[in-house]
Amino acid sequence: MYLRPRVIPCLLLKNNGLVKTVKFKDPRYLGDPINAVRIFNEKYVDELAILDIVATKEKRSPNLELLSRIAAEAFMPMCYGGGISTLDEVKIILGMGFEKVVINTSAVKNPMLIQEASGHFGSQSIVVSIDVKKNFFGKYRAYINCGEVATDYDPAELARKVEQLGAGEIFLNSIDKDGTMSGYDLGLIKKVSESVGIPVIACGGARNVDDLSMALHNGKADAMAAGSMFVYYGKHKAVLITFPNEEELIKAGVFT
Amino acid sequence: MKEYQVCNRCIMDTSDSEITFDEYGVCNHCRNFDENIRPRWFPNEQGQQMLLSIVEKIKQENKNNDYDCIIGLSGGVDSSFLAYKAVQMGLRLLAVHVDAGWNSEIAVRNIENICKKLNIDLYTHVVDWEEVAEVQRAFLLSGVANQDTPQDHAFFAGLYNYAVKNNVKYVLSGLNFATEGILPASWGYMAMDLKQVEGIYDRFGRKPLKTFPKVSLFKYLVYYPYIKGMKVIAPLNYMPYDKDEAIKIMAKEFSWQYYGGKHFESRFTKFFQAYYLPAKFGYDKRRAHLSSLIVSGQLTRQEALIEIEKELYPIEQLQEDKEYVLKKLDLTTQEFDEIMKSPNKTFRDYPSNHYLLEKLRTIRGLLKK
Ligand SMILES: [Zn+2]
Repeated sequence: MYLRPRVIPCLLLKNNGLVKTVKFKDPRYLGDPINAVRIFNEKYVDELAILDIVATKEKRSPNLELLSRIAAEAFMPMCYGGGISTLDEVKIILGMGFEKVVINTSAVKNPMLIQEASGHFGSQSIVVSIDVKKNFFGKYRAYINCGEVATDYDPAELARKVEQLGAGEIFLNSIDKDGTMSGYDLGLIKKVSESVGIPVIACGGARNVDDLSMALHNGKADAMAAGSMFVYYGKHKAVLITFPNEEELIKAGVFT
Repeated sequence: MKEYQVCNRCIMDTSDSEITFDEYGVCNHCRNFDENIRPRWFPNEQGQQMLLSIVEKIKQENKNNDYDCIIGLSGGVDSSFLAYKAVQMGLRLLAVHVDAGWNSEIAVRNIENICKKLNIDLYTHVVDWEEVAEVQRAFLLSGVANQDTPQDHAFFAGLYNYAVKNNVKYVLSGLNFATEGILPASWGYMAMDLKQVEGIYDRFGRKPLKTFPKVSLFKYLVYYPYIKGMKVIAPLNYMPYDKDEAIKIMAKEFSWQYYGGKHFESRFTKFFQAYYLPAKFGYDKRRAHLSSLIVSGQLTRQEALIEIEKELYPIEQLQEDKEYVLKKLDLTTQEFDEIMKSPNKTFRDYPSNHYLLEKLRTIRGLLKK
């Protein structure tokens, strides 16, 4: 049996549609989320991440109606993030069948939520996402509010803090790399994963299976998420849902 | 009520309300195939020569362009095999896929395999799903048989509009007489008739359409071909095209996979052809398809009669697909049952350019003589 680190397609929601961003900007419409989830289902992906990229910005709670329709369609473990700010929302979303929730803005603004949620539902179901951008001086900074508001936190420091609060996993998203298909920020991934004991999911920049392998072996990530790589094909960035098969992942050294 | 009758040559029957039979019990579709289609069909040496010169002309005209032609790729048998053949003939293709929100996993995997193995560039036009759903919902509420119109119109409009916008003159089409030579007019309606799309949408749609791909008959029949120089070529009519053989070749060459049933690469089309049409109208599209294969010499009538007896839609699968389709189109089971029970409508019950098209056909017929 192979050792199988998780490879996670990361799907972004805007209103009722699926989109893909570049550096958290210019969302391009990709189609119906329900159909996309169904296709990933049939491709037997291990896990799926669904992130609503406008909920927090629009100061609204998660679109529960859409989420329940997505949950009904999926057989694989899924996590949801975007606009979660109360314990009640965590409860409802986990109740729908999502395995984990992803919390970003509230993890900084209301750290007690992480503590309470992990106390109630277990650390394994609470993921904190850390969106990272380099500032003017080349220093990594954690961002909140859909990547629009800088915090004073260094990502590794914030990761350590939420680990102590009870987060079970870190979803580490590089804003600078997002949608660029230029490879992961391996330095960032390594820095954060070496500062915490909980699993770190790397996201942002993947273009192919070799990048997944680099994030795993050089970046010391525990799991690799990617958007563009699983929804775009070729030089015209044609929208086409794809997922590497076992053979390709073995060959690239992701499964060992 | 007409007495039930099946054609002695193909297996078309009186489920086509407009079918007629001659003194030998042979239907009008068979006659139409012999008289109007066979003369335009070249599955032989002559076709090969004709195609060769067309391809040479395309290459010559496009030697300074990035692509020789555009091909619409759905992941289905016809378009996939066409892509394979076109690459073999040395054409530099840009594949255009119009995604209307119903792709199956097999369809997207086929497209990926074709493009990767044959080294074809791909462009995807993703149609706003909420608009597609609204148009399809409107069509279902209208009770017409031609439920494939919204998707087909979006596919062709998306393809043609893209070709003209990007100045690619040649569009390769997977249409072919070998598998599509027989299709009763009463079972469907021309998807290119925008007046029908908009006429039905005006009555049953709920919000304005902003981005749904449209092409008017004027653009399609006059402006695009005569002013913009767009030419639609159907190469499969210039070669022997045997579907089973094509599937075997493609499975071997690029792991192409069959999805069971003509046009079942779209989840909606499957539900529409295997349930809505037979249950509401008594039309079994397999009958036309199998009859096409008989007259084109790919299947014996005996084989077709055995094939048509096979179960159209296993009940569990129907239930699952029905639930999925209704949920996606925002229709309740009650609303859908109501549609199924309501009187059947035809395209003639709504605005269309049918009259104009018939006139054009007559004029063209007269000009040919
Ligand atoms: Zn006949």
